Amino acid sequence: MAILEVKNICKSFGRNHVLRGIDFTLEQGEVLSIIGSSGSGKTTLLRCLNSLEFADEGQIVVSGETIFDAAVNKRPSEAQLRQKRLHFGLVFQNFNLFPQYSVLDNVTLAPRLLKKDSREAIEKYALELIDSVGLKDKVNSYPCELSGGQQQRVAIARALAMKPNILCFDEPTSALDPELTGEVLKVIRSLADRNMTMIIVTHEMAFAHDVSDKIIFMDGGVIAEQGAPDILDHPKSERLQAFLTSF
Amino acid sequence: MNVFFEQFPVVFQALNVGFLQTLKLFGITLLGALPLGLVISFGSMSKFKPLSAVVRTLVWIIRGTPLMLQLLIIFYFPGLVFGKQLWGGGEGGRFFASAIAFIINYACYFSEIYRGGIQGVPHGQQEAGLVLGLSRSQIFFKVTLLQMIKRIVPPMSNEIITLVKDTSLARIIALQEVIWAGQAFMKGSQGISGAIWPLFFTGVYYLAFSGILTLLFGWIEKKLSYFKA
Ligand SMILES: Nc1ncnc2c1ncn2[C@@H]1O[C@H](COP(=O)(O)OP(=O)(O)OP(=O)(O)O)[C@@H](O)[C@H]1O
Ligand SMILES: [Mg+2]
Repeated sequence: MAILEVKNICKSFGRNHVLRGIDFTLEQGEVLSIIGSSGSGKTTLLRCLNSLEFADEGQIVVSGETIFDAAVNKRPSEAQLRQKRLHFGLVFQNFNLFPQYSVLDNVTLAPRLLKKDSREAIEKYALELIDSVGLKDKVNSYPCELSGGQQQRVAIARALAMKPNILCFDEPTSALDPELTGEVLKVIRSLADRNMTMIIVTHEMAFAHDVSDKIIFMDGGVIAEQGAPDILDHPKSERLQAFLTSF
Repeated sequence: MNVFFEQFPVVFQALNVGFLQTLKLFGITLLGALPLGLVISFGSMSKFKPLSAVVRTLVWIIRGTPLMLQLLIIFYFPGLVFGKQLWGGGEGGRFFASAIAFIINYACYFSEIYRGGIQGVPHGQQEAGLVLGLSRSQIFFKVTLLQMIKRIVPPMSNEIITLVKDTSLARIIALQEVIWAGQAFMKGSQGISGAIWPLFFTGVYYLAFSGILTLLFGWIEKKLSYFKA
């Protein structure tokens, strides 16, 4: 069974039809990259998956469980929403670390507040995660003392601490200086090697080509082309060809 | 010089009594205006447009007119309209009227500070909390509150130190605060008259008190300086 089925997601802001029927599926352990020009609705799609935004039409099914169905009028309670959100993690373009907490506390805050485990176990796991993103010596630093690349790696560890089924990235390296993107991409690549199911919105074409099992090219709120990474080498649609030559 | 040393104990005693009234007005104003300001700031940020429009207009009026004028209006207006003193005569009534005027005035200033602090926290903080599965109240208390406080403290400390000095405006309705007490020795009081130094000396009280507050707020700001928000 697919870990994620997205069916006919439509979303408008007023008269602006941002998503006009998005369909795709994702298998456990797969990496999906979403590419597309600015304003094509990539962020909106991730926000719908993470219940930060609600689609006007369509369904989202995670491991067979329908976590969102626009046809059901009843709004979920806040507690239900929180439960649904936990299927997904989201790494933001601009990190959004909590500035008043140390690296360790950023990573442990949510598991501690949601009592996922004993305090010791949470801390132990957090330290492993921080180590795995290469920031062992920064455990007690505060976000303002870190570079953008380091902050983004903390944000990845923070998202992983909640053990999401699917981790989403929204242009994780777009806010970084070019020399810092490599260290973040390396971390994402290592997650792919460990079979983390991921959806990555990115403008890093070479990286998407390398790391992905599947690529979706969005244009004007629809999927204009999708397939294996080699669609980047041999794009079928004119729109993808045009998009790729802009790089 | 000898005269000074003769006068000093009497004057010191009187100024202390006056300054106690100053402190009382200061304390009551904070006690009332700090929470009222928060209520007003929520009103001004309300999504219910009529409410936020009314509240913002009120804040505009209060911030756009002199506190001294507001004091005079609050003290004399009820008497003019109803033909009787609403506040009761004497020092108690004057204190009550002063406290009302100061609380309303400062609550409006504080509300703008709160609003800036609340709206200044980036929306991404809230969303980061949400995607981690935190509840709204967990996000408020564990994520955004301290960031708001950090933003609020510097403008708030300015405003509070201004309040120390503004309390002297209550002199206009003859509240017997420290300046009134110092001035009394010019006209003549307790066998001393024509002495202007007691009035000048009241400055020492203000300096000492605002000095202490400056140190206190400096300490709080330093405590919060370990992170950048
Ligand atoms: N909250 C919102 N309210 C109104 N319009 C919105 C909102 N969020 C997004 N939009 C609009 O939706 C469209 C798609 O935005 P979105 O952020 O999803 O694009 P994107 O593909 O992520 O672009 P980029 O590559 O620039 O990040 C844009 O026209 C944007 O103005
Ligand atoms: Mg985007």
